[in-house]
Amino acid sequence: MSEYQNVSLLLKALCAANGTSGDEAEAAEIAAGMLKKYMDVEISPLGSVIGRLDGNGIHILLDAHIDQIGLVVTAIDETGFLKVAKCGGSDARVLAASDVTVHGKKDVFGVVTSTPPHLASKDDEGKAKGFDDVSIDIGLSRENAEKIVEPGDRITFNSSFDELLGNRVASACIDDRAGVAAILRALELLEGKTGNAKITVMFSSQEETGGSGALTGAFSAQADEAIAVDVSFASAPNISSEKYASLGMGTMIGYSPSLDFEMSKSLKRLAEENEIQYQNEVMGGRTGTNCDEIQISGRGCKTALLSIPIRNMHTAVELCDLSDIEETAKLIAAYITERSGTNA
Amino acid sequence: MLELIKELSAVPGISGRENKVCEFITEQIKDYAEYRIDPLGNLIVFRKGKKPSNHKVMIDAHMDEVGFIISDITSDGFLHFVKVGGINTAVLAGRRVKVGEKEVNGVFGIKPIHLVDRENETKLPSDDDLYIDIGASSRDEALKYVQPGDSAWFSSETVEFGDGFLKAKALDDRAGCAILIKMIQNEPEYDLWFSFSVQEETGLKGAKTATFTIDPEYAIAVETTTAADISGVKDDKRVCILGNGGAVSFMDRSTIYNKELFDRAFEIAREKNIPCQTKMMVAGGNNAGAIHQSRGGVKTLAVSVPCRYLHSPACVIKYKDVESSYELISALAEDLAK
Repeated sequence: MSEYQNVSLLLKALCAANGTSGDEAEAAEIAAGMLKKYMDVEISPLGSVIGRLDGNGIHILLDAHIDQIGLVVTAIDETGFLKVAKCGGSDARVLAASDVTVHGKKDVFGVVTSTPPHLASKDDEGKAKGFDDVSIDIGLSRENAEKIVEPGDRITFNSSFDELLGNRVASACIDDRAGVAAILRALELLEGKTGNAKITVMFSSQEETGGSGALTGAFSAQADEAIAVDVSFASAPNISSEKYASLGMGTMIGYSPSLDFEMSKSLKRLAEENEIQYQNEVMGGRTGTNCDEIQISGRGCKTALLSIPIRNMHTAVELCDLSDIEETAKLIAAYITERSGTNA
Repeated sequence: MLELIKELSAVPGISGRENKVCEFITEQIKDYAEYRIDPLGNLIVFRKGKKPSNHKVMIDAHMDEVGFIISDITSDGFLHFVKVGGINTAVLAGRRVKVGEKEVNGVFGIKPIHLVDRENETKLPSDDDLYIDIGASSRDEALKYVQPGDSAWFSSETVEFGDGFLKAKALDDRAGCAILIKMIQNEPEYDLWFSFSVQEETGLKGAKTATFTIDPEYAIAVETTTAADISGVKDDKRVCILGNGGAVSFMDRSTIYNKELFDRAFEIAREKNIPCQTKMMVAGGNNAGAIHQSRGGVKTLAVSVPCRYLHSPACVIKYKDVESSYELISALAEDLAK
C-alpha cells in the first residue's frame, strides 16, 4: 500500500465525511481544506467547492463531484421508525439490515429494517423490499425521535474504509471521492508548476440528483476546456471484462460525441508518452457524468472525461484500486503541464 | 453483562468452528466451576451451588453463529461460498465479511443497479450469483490468504443506540451465552449444569450430545428469538416485542414445551415482578428440539431475548431484556433444582 500512501490518505479522509446530495457541507469543508494548500477556495451558491488559480493562458476546469447517494427522511411513524425516499440512485437490493447514520440535529445511528422470514409471502421470494416498504430503526419512540430528526434530514450508509488485498480498498462514497482525490493528487504532483494556465477546480454538488452543481459552476467558470473525473464500471463476475474496464488497469479515457475528440486523443497520446496506464471507455451519447452538464453550460466548453473503475457502485462497499487513482492524477498533471506550456 | 455481550458477539465462531468462542467463555468461567469439552466441542460446565440440588437442571445456550464456508476460488480471485445456517439472501449484497485464519477483509459484490433492467431493480441476486471479493486479482493471489474450507463471517460494528438498544452480529446466541456466564459467576443457590453448545444453527447437533452426557431432569434453552415489532407489522405478526422481557415459548417448529414449566415461569415472573412475555407465534426452533428428546425425555422450556433482524449482520436487542431474562432464568432454575 505504501506506494499509494498519498492517495490512500486523501481518499480515506474524504470518504469519512458526509455529503449526501444537497447536504454536502461536511464533505465540502474537508475537501476545501485540502484544496486550500494550492489555491483560494470558496463555496458556490449551490454548495460546490470552487478553487481558482489565476493565469493569463488557457483556462482549464477540473471537476469531480463531492456529493454521494443516500436516503432522505420523509416521515416518522407512530412507532418511531423513519420512512424514507432515495436521494440519488440508491440501490434497494442492498438495504436490508444495513447500518446507517441519520443526520438530524445530531448524528443518530440506525438500522434499515429487514423483514423476518415468517412475514414473507411467496411473491416476496427473491425480491428486495422497495424504498416505500423499508424503514429506519433508530431505537427511539416517536416523541424522542421528533426531538432529533425531521423530514428532509439525510441518511448515509455507514462504512469502514477497508484495505483489501493488493492496492484495493472498499468504502462507501468512493463515487466520487476517488475523483476528488485524483484531482488533489494531480495538484500535488504538479508542485505549483502550472505555468500561465488558469485553473479552476470544482468539487461539485448534486451530481447524483442531476448535475445542478456542475451546470452552474461551469457557467460561472466559463473555462476553455474541462476535465471531469468520475467513477465507472469495472468488470466482476457477471460483468464482462470485454464490455467494461478492469480494476487496476489504469485510468479510463472517455470517448463520446459529447466529449471533445481532440482532448480525448491528446489524453491518450500523453498517457502513451508518459507511460501512464490507461484504458478506453466508449459511450454513444450521454456520459452519465457531469460532462453532460459542463459541455453545454454558458457558451459551451470543450470537455473530456477520465474515469476510475470501481465495483459495486452505489453500495457501501464500492471497491477501487488505488493505482487507478494515481494513474488518473498523473494524466491530469501531464495534460496541464502540456497545455500550460511549462514543459516547452 | 452489556460489555460481556459486546465482547462475545465480536468473537468469530460459525457452526463447527466455535473454538474461539469456547476459549473466551472458558476464561470467564474457569475460576468458578468444573468444566470439560466434549468430542463435538460443547463446553459442559458443573457449577456447585450453596446447596446440593434435588433435581438436575441443565441450562443451554449455543456458541455458534451463522456464516459461510469458502467453497471455491475463481481464476480471477473471487470466492464462492456456501451458507452455514439460515441466512436470508437479502442481507448479503453490499455487506462486509472477514475470511479465513488471516481474517482478511472481504465484501459481497453485486452488479451495479445502473446495469440492471428496470423490471429487475428489486430482484435479489441468487446465492449462485453472489461472491466474496477480497481484492485478489487471481486465484494464486487469493490462495496465499484463503483456502477452500475456510470460514467467513459477518464483519459488523457493535453499536449501542437509541433508548437502550444494542446492534451487533451474532447476538444469536451470544446474548444467551452471556446470561449463562453471569449465572456461573454468581454462586447459585443449588448445583446447576450448563451446556455451551456447538452447531445449533446447522441442526441442533451439539445440544443432542451434551444433553445425553449431562442427563438432566429439567432443561432451559436460553436463546434469542425473532422480534417483528417493526414499522407496519400488525400486532398478531410481531412474535415478541423488544423491551417486554424474555419471550417464553409454548410451542415452536421443533418442540411442544412442558406446560408445567411454562406456567411456573409466568408464576415466578409475577411473584418477583420480572417482565416477561409469551412468544406469540409457532415459528422457528432451537436447541430445545434436541434437548427434550434426549434419552427418556427431558422437561424443557425456552426463554429467549427478543431480537430484530436475526441472522443478519445487524441483530438488534434491547439490553434490559437481557437483564430481565437473566433474572427469570435464574429464579426458574433455582425453583426447579430445589
